[in-house]
Amino acid sequence: MARMCMVIDKRRCIGCHSCTVACRTWNQLPIDIVYNPVLSEGTQGKFPNVHRTWTPMLCQHCAKPACVPACPTGASKQDADGTVWIEYKKCMACKVCVNACPYGMRDQSKFEPRLHQFIRKCTFCRDRREYEGDYAKSTYCVDTCHQKARVFGDLDDPNSEVHKLVNRVKTTRIFENLNTEPQIYYIDDMGGAL
Amino acid sequence: MRHHYWELPIYVYLFLGGLGGGIMFLSMIFSLFMFPGVTAVVETLWLPMLVAVGCLGLGCFFLVFELGQPFAFLGVFLKSTSIICWGARFLTVAMISAILWLVCYIPLDMLAGLAEAIRPSATLWMVLAGCCGFAIMVYTGVMLSTLKAHSFWATPALPALFTVSALSTACAGIMLAAGIHPNGGLMQNLLAAEAIKEIVHMADIVLVIAELTILLVMILSFLGAGNKTQNKVAHRWVHGSYAPAFWGGMICCGLVIPEILNIFGSGVATHIVAPVLVLCGGLLLRALCIFSDDRAEIPGENIYFNRLKKKGEAEFLTRWDYAGENEY
Amino acid sequence: MPEIDIHAEGVECIKTQCYFCHANCGVLAYVKDGDVIKIEGDPNYSNQGGLCCRGTSALLHVNHPGRINHALKRAGEKGEGKWEQIDYDQAIQEVADKLNQIKAEYGAETIASCGGTTRTDDWARRRFLNQFGTPNGFHNALLCWIPTFMAETCVAGWSPFETDLGGAKCLILWGMNPGASTLPGMHGYWDLMNAGMKCIVVDPRYSETASKADLWLPLRPGSDAALALSMLHVLIYEGMVDWDFAGEYVDGLDELTDHVADYSPEWASEITWLEPDLIRQAARMYGQNTPGCIQWGCTWDQLGRSSTTASHAIALMRALTGNLDVPGGDGMPGPALNFMTDEELELNHLMPEEMKAKQIGSDKFKLTSWPGYTKISTINKRTWGKTLPAEWFCEAHGPSVFKAILTGDPYQIHALIVNASNPINSYGDSKMTLAAIKAVEFLVCVDYWMTPIALFADYVFPAAGALERPTIITHYGATDSVMGGRRAIQPKYDRHTDMYFWRALGLACGQDPENWKWETEEEVYTEIIAGLNLPFSTWDEFVDNMRMYYPPLHQKKFEHNGGFWTPSGKIECNSSILRELGYAGMPTYIGCSENEIDHPELAEEYPLTLTTGGSLMPYHHSEHFNMPYTRYIWPDPYFMINEEKAEELGIEHGDWCWIETRRGRIKMRAHVDQEVHPKVIFTPRGWWYPERDGSADLDNPFGCLESNVNVLTSVDEEHCDPMGGSWANRGLLCKVYKMTEGDSEYTVQDTAFSIPGSDPRKGKTKEEFLHRLPSEAPLAREKVPFEAPQPEIEVPEGYEWQWQNNTLYHKATNYRLDESGWLINPITKGYHDATYAWRYDATLQCLVDDATGKKYNMDYTPKVFERPETIPANLAWNEDEGFAYHEATGYKYDANSGWLIAPNGAYHDANFAYRYDAATGHLIDDATGKAYDFEYNEITA
Repeated sequence: MARMCMVIDKRRCIGCHSCTVACRTWNQLPIDIVYNPVLSEGTQGKFPNVHRTWTPMLCQHCAKPACVPACPTGASKQDADGTVWIEYKKCMACKVCVNACPYGMRDQSKFEPRLHQFIRKCTFCRDRREYEGDYAKSTYCVDTCHQKARVFGDLDDPNSEVHKLVNRVKTTRIFENLNTEPQIYYIDDMGGAL
Repeated sequence: MRHHYWELPIYVYLFLGGLGGGIMFLSMIFSLFMFPGVTAVVETLWLPMLVAVGCLGLGCFFLVFELGQPFAFLGVFLKSTSIICWGARFLTVAMISAILWLVCYIPLDMLAGLAEAIRPSATLWMVLAGCCGFAIMVYTGVMLSTLKAHSFWATPALPALFTVSALSTACAGIMLAAGIHPNGGLMQNLLAAEAIKEIVHMADIVLVIAELTILLVMILSFLGAGNKTQNKVAHRWVHGSYAPAFWGGMICCGLVIPEILNIFGSGVATHIVAPVLVLCGGLLLRALCIFSDDRAEIPGENIYFNRLKKKGEAEFLTRWDYAGENEY
Repeated sequence: MPEIDIHAEGVECIKTQCYFCHANCGVLAYVKDGDVIKIEGDPNYSNQGGLCCRGTSALLHVNHPGRINHALKRAGEKGEGKWEQIDYDQAIQEVADKLNQIKAEYGAETIASCGGTTRTDDWARRRFLNQFGTPNGFHNALLCWIPTFMAETCVAGWSPFETDLGGAKCLILWGMNPGASTLPGMHGYWDLMNAGMKCIVVDPRYSETASKADLWLPLRPGSDAALALSMLHVLIYEGMVDWDFAGEYVDGLDELTDHVADYSPEWASEITWLEPDLIRQAARMYGQNTPGCIQWGCTWDQLGRSSTTASHAIALMRALTGNLDVPGGDGMPGPALNFMTDEELELNHLMPEEMKAKQIGSDKFKLTSWPGYTKISTINKRTWGKTLPAEWFCEAHGPSVFKAILTGDPYQIHALIVNASNPINSYGDSKMTLAAIKAVEFLVCVDYWMTPIALFADYVFPAAGALERPTIITHYGATDSVMGGRRAIQPKYDRHTDMYFWRALGLACGQDPENWKWETEEEVYTEIIAGLNLPFSTWDEFVDNMRMYYPPLHQKKFEHNGGFWTPSGKIECNSSILRELGYAGMPTYIGCSENEIDHPELAEEYPLTLTTGGSLMPYHHSEHFNMPYTRYIWPDPYFMINEEKAEELGIEHGDWCWIETRRGRIKMRAHVDQEVHPKVIFTPRGWWYPERDGSADLDNPFGCLESNVNVLTSVDEEHCDPMGGSWANRGLLCKVYKMTEGDSEYTVQDTAFSIPGSDPRKGKTKEEFLHRLPSEAPLAREKVPFEAPQPEIEVPEGYEWQWQNNTLYHKATNYRLDESGWLINPITKGYHDATYAWRYDATLQCLVDDATGKKYNMDYTPKVFERPETIPANLAWNEDEGFAYHEATGYKYDANSGWLIAPNGAYHDANFAYRYDAATGHLIDDATGKAYDFEYNEITA
């Protein structure tokens, strides 16, 4: 079995938004759709003793997603490799899934024509992974990251980098208490300068 | 939080669903259990049932109207696991059954033959409509409470609150619509209407008390002991931006005043003013609940999404059309 | 998105380069039928496949509906926004005629040209300007590296800007935030920090980079000179000078030691708001962890009047710690000796001396204009053998040119050609610049977009952008490496590259076609790298196969060079070039243009300290505000303010506020957190609103003043750096207040400006100096009189005496006259004769005139080579050159092997010139195709 997941090294992330824009251009998203915002609370602490970190967010591709069972039409699906995606033509945009997602990572564009609106979210670059050619079987946000803060791979493959990182390094996940088993693993930053 | 995803069509739908389902359920109780076989009761409830069907129909219209790709709606009948699917099925069955029941007793001479022909199955249709109506009434709250991302919704109190509110608004609906019928002037019909109105009047007194209790317990316990998100919402309700709507609109106008009118009033006050206020209160409740769709914030999320421009907020969003003509 | 099959028939993968900032990341463009269908980062380039927001948007840039695609001629009034699309060549001819007319009427110098960043074909522009005869070309050069480069060259002979980080133990990122500007670099810094390299970040803001650093020095904006001087003080007084190095290569250390005695950390503490111990800690971290690097940052060049003081002190810090040109230190590449530099493309010799003197600003800011450039360039030629380009390093003073347009002081400028720049947003004092743009008689603009400049232009020319042009990177022509990318597609519509524009304009103006023999960039770039003798015949081939040329790493060049590339051959603590130009030879503290210590009364009204020019990631300079997909991520201008101060002023996160200096006020939104000191306001730069209708408000076209921080910066002479001329962007005094309902609209009164009689703010008195003509305005420092010593020795005809090292130099070639009586070529270190500077060829034992190829005996008689007897009789003899050759084919005879060698290296026999075919061992007569054995018997079958 395969279990696709992503490890995000927050120690490396500098909040440059490259992944965000790369994703928007690659997936040709409507202008108001952001699959992978890079969040930050800004500089915290008390000047000059401060720290700052960034949290690149994206669909958590939960092992037990809340969105998929909530979908009334079967448009939201989970593949055998654990990735969650939406079959657009089946989606009626009832937005139950949007409200079911604890991470707020599903959205509907306000800029698309009436009667052709559906819910979108990160697909872990399904097109790239399915493509038979020789793209690295990886997501575009990973490839475009200057800082190499993102690692993508199969968690079930003991030779994969993500397997090594998840098992060797202390990682955290967002809202583990909700029991959705998110598959984005974060390596936390210690924070600020000396 | 980027923005509210569910707005007016959805809370109107939830309100109308509860109202319609409640009327059907109460109609079943009245016509089959309390006054079985009494034609005057059936005729008294004929318009409330029509209103119920209208409510469900209008609710469905709002629901479908709001969809991005309405034709994909048919998919809901093919999947079985989602709670909305069950909602859709109950709605369909309830509406068809209720329409058939209405046809059975339709007061139109040109359809008298048809009504006559299917009238033997009327009980079946009323049972189906009543049971599905109950399910719809419960489902609106349950559906929200399964969305565990929103801790204001994901609580047992919410389905209870919605169900009680649905019943209370149904009572109000019956109060307003019962007895209006071509045969309404007949003595037995007047008596039946009087009896039913008296029952829903008494029921509403109890239901409003129950609703008030559940609502206050729910909100105040969120205020005192809820998690961060519930707390934030409760603050908004109790002394934040929703406070005027909550205290003034829902508690005072939607519950306390109708309750006082129901207990101490009579005539127009109990028969028209109180039910209308209860209906308004019910709608307001759904609206406030739908707008309380706060998720636990992912750190930095609000700063990020508040920075972004929404449609119509900035010229640059639509200034350059890549599909359009070049300017220079 | 439907997947694009990059392996489909007809899809070509072209190695091209991003063109949206100076990092120029590698991009792979997949091209089909002349259109780019997809791009991605080149994994085999320094960006390792990474591309930032701007880079990934390249396709949205090429096809942007707002791009200018055709030559436009103004059809209505200036600024009305009415255009007529005309033929590109016709537009060029009309512009050329007008320029020629202005030149004939008023003189060539009344035509100026304004540029922005290096992302254009600078050499072509200078080639045009030099032939046209105007010295008044300028860029934003003075805010970006150039004054620093010149100061560093005065100290050590070249700018040490190539950090050898792999071996460095400590890195100072001073006023530099690679986390938002050079992302490929940031990746490397982080890896090295993890590997143990110490990183010090000097930045008033807790930047992306500061958040990863070992030590962060949040200094008061603009106080860099004080910090640098105090760090220099600590390095010297705590004995962290590299004494061995200093003993051999440093001149004037004792003088400097006395000079910096008072610049203690305690002294600097009050100015920089840093604890003395923190300054000591930083100096020790740098001084004790050698080798180390100081990465070049723009800040030093943007301080205003203390700019060059700061960069001068920093140059001395690196020099004294022995970090110059050593492994792990700051590398000094020097000019490229083996390929053509930008300077060699500029035709600077065509610029007459009297025109050089007319360069605007060169009488004031001498280091970065003809006076300083001439001195530095001469030294460069004497020491390295080549020099810096005049473009960037020798330019008119931009703001002074705009002032000249408005005042006619020192003379009226009649025409302005703006290329790749939006000076209203990127130069100082935007209101004045806007007024100048409106006032100039004839305005031509070459740009991608309808900028506020283009709006007022008489002609607008469309520019080819990323993917539409090949790229060459030689760092302003100041380094010895070359990188580049191919053109992915031909420019769309009527867009053309800047070189095409300048060439067409030059030819239309009647310039010599011989000087414009190259038609495309590819031809030029091929010629540039020809000297590398790489096995590629075209630029495209070079890119496909090599892409990056780095010379073999040659550090410690000063050892075998016999010293540094300064006039004295040593690190000059007391720079002789600066003294010759009338400046102090050692960095002497001066406060930044506005500060609370020197201007306490001003600080009462404007209690906060403003720093401008912050880079928020999706934007670069004044660009990309019209890219909706990136703008969406950061739609409004946000300034940074500390929570404590915001609370005091009643400002909440996201509130629109006014930021005001005494020059005007602008609107921005507050970003409230702990990023800056409570007394600091940090703003992004260059903001404008390209989505608006520019013609709707000609006092604020495209909102170019409304949120543009350059409204607040100062270009007053007194605020400019007296050496480099850079104007005041940092550490200005300001105040901030929340916008109120009745006070939220921008009006023309919101921006006062510095030209006499033009202040629209009624009822407010302005400082006296703002009302002076530029030529009457004093500079921040008095000139330091200097008289160069008289020659101690007799100076022969054709020679010049250099007082610093008491040496004679041959004027025509700049070769040094050695004790041996021979001239020494600085590039080859070879000997040349002292009269004609002919090269001595040790193999042939004669003099060679490389210009003509002729050879001479030691007595300057033409050398005649006698024919040796061993040469076969059928061969002809060249007695001038001394070689035998086969007359019919021209193949040279190789006396050692006894064979003829064709230019392609193939061997041919000496009798009939038959080609030797190694595969068969036969001789082949290529004319007939017949084969022979060595006895010349024909071999059949």
